[in-house]
Amino acid sequence: MKTIHKILVVAVVIFTTGGMIVGCSSTKNAYTAATDVQDEFKIEKSGAQMWGEACNRCHLAPSPADYNDTDWSTIALHMRVRANLAENEIAKIETFLKSAN
Amino acid sequence: MIVGFGHITYGQTYNNFETDSVTAPEPFKPSKTQFMIRGYGHTGLNFMNTEGEKESSYVGSAFAPIFLFKHSDRLMFEAELEFGLENNELEVGLEYADVMYILNKNMTVRAGKFLLPFGTFMERLHPAWINRLPTRPLGFGHDGIAPASGIGVELRGAFDLGGPKLNYAVYSTNGPRLKDGSVEPEEAGMLMFQNFEDNNNSKAFGGRIGLLPFADSSTEIGFSSYSTSKVGTTDSEYENVGVFLYAIDFAFIKQIPAISGFIDIKGQYNNSDIDDATYTEVHEDGDEEEYTFDNKSNSFYAQLSYRPTMASSDFMKKLELVGRYSNLNTPEGAEWEERSDQYAFSLNYWLTWRSVIKVAYQTTDSVGGHDGGGTANGFFIHWAIGF
Repeated sequence: MKTIHKILVVAVVIFTTGGMIVGCSSTKNAYTAATDVQDEFKIEKSGAQMWGEACNRCHLAPSPADYNDTDWSTIALHMRVRANLAENEIAKIETFLKSAN
Repeated sequence: MIVGFGHITYGQTYNNFETDSVTAPEPFKPSKTQFMIRGYGHTGLNFMNTEGEKESSYVGSAFAPIFLFKHSDRLMFEAELEFGLENNELEVGLEYADVMYILNKNMTVRAGKFLLPFGTFMERLHPAWINRLPTRPLGFGHDGIAPASGIGVELRGAFDLGGPKLNYAVYSTNGPRLKDGSVEPEEAGMLMFQNFEDNNNSKAFGGRIGLLPFADSSTEIGFSSYSTSKVGTTDSEYENVGVFLYAIDFAFIKQIPAISGFIDIKGQYNNSDIDDATYTEVHEDGDEEEYTFDNKSNSFYAQLSYRPTMASSDFMKKLELVGRYSNLNTPEGAEWEERSDQYAFSLNYWLTWRSVIKVAYQTTDSVGGHDGGGTANGFFIHWAIGF
């Protein structure tokens, strides 16, 4: 058991260090500098689509009308961490919920 | 009449709406600091038949408020209390209480008491308004083999891989403590995950990696592990007992037009391996006997549910059919040795997206365990609401 524990501890340290380096290397979105041609062919999911996909993974998708914009900001931050959602995913979902409530 | 109408007619002739100074209403400016109470509750009626012994009871309303304090766009405090009625007493628990900070788009740090990402059931699916059945699968909850929460620090985040997604969490907590049998001899060798004040200097380390391989995020496969080199109390003979746990989870949720609705499949396998140790059994005549056993346990559940969301009838759209199989195997030779299989079925009616009525039947076949084994059948009518 000691060996497994040591391996796991080393793996956690390596993963954390590596993640720190990758995560902190740039906070800019590399995809924002897309050219016109790239924009033309870029297919991105809408916030509504992501809302249907991400929320339904655990519970039924909430009605946008049930909360106001400020509440959705709080809920979005909570759910981003609780459900471990990607930043662009929760940002689009939040924008959709605020626009549709 | 004349005086009255005259008064009304001439009373305010000076009022000129065009020249009055009207202050334009200022747009609503929400503050960055926000406080919110959310949560869930449930209540219901249980009928149980355990080896011919029948009992029925209304089960008290469980109330679990969640407090969210958003300090800024990056900093938040969250806490959940649980109020429940069990054994004629009010039980209050602190499910979690942690502070979280968004470091960057891929990293969030949490500290405090948080739900552990050991699989997905306890972290994401256990609240009554999310869990599709009124009960938890075998292996979770009281005397379960899977940890639910821990006190420590965690780093988590997610990456969008341009379609597929990857999420991760790594953490360190106080870890569990070993029940050595001095207080509850029948539970010697079990882990107690509620270790609020660490009983030794060894910390537990763990993590989970989840992969959503498809662009529609319909499928998620996760692997979790959790380990500590010491679970016994410092300077006790059990101090150096180590533990390694792992879990594999799976989820598939998708609306399929061919079957006119949502299909939801979830599953999790838990495995627990605790170093062997020698425990003492005290017989009724006062004699003591030492014994040991291979301290390995596992549990599994698989759940399938279907909601006909594309049906033409509004009533049908709100129905959900759920079936679940779960299984628990605890160590052979332990006082808490158990082999259990459980089947549960439920017909749910969703009043709203966060309020559900569950009508469920469950049958459990056990060999060993606290109650000595046998067959236990249950019928449940529960109402759960998230708020």
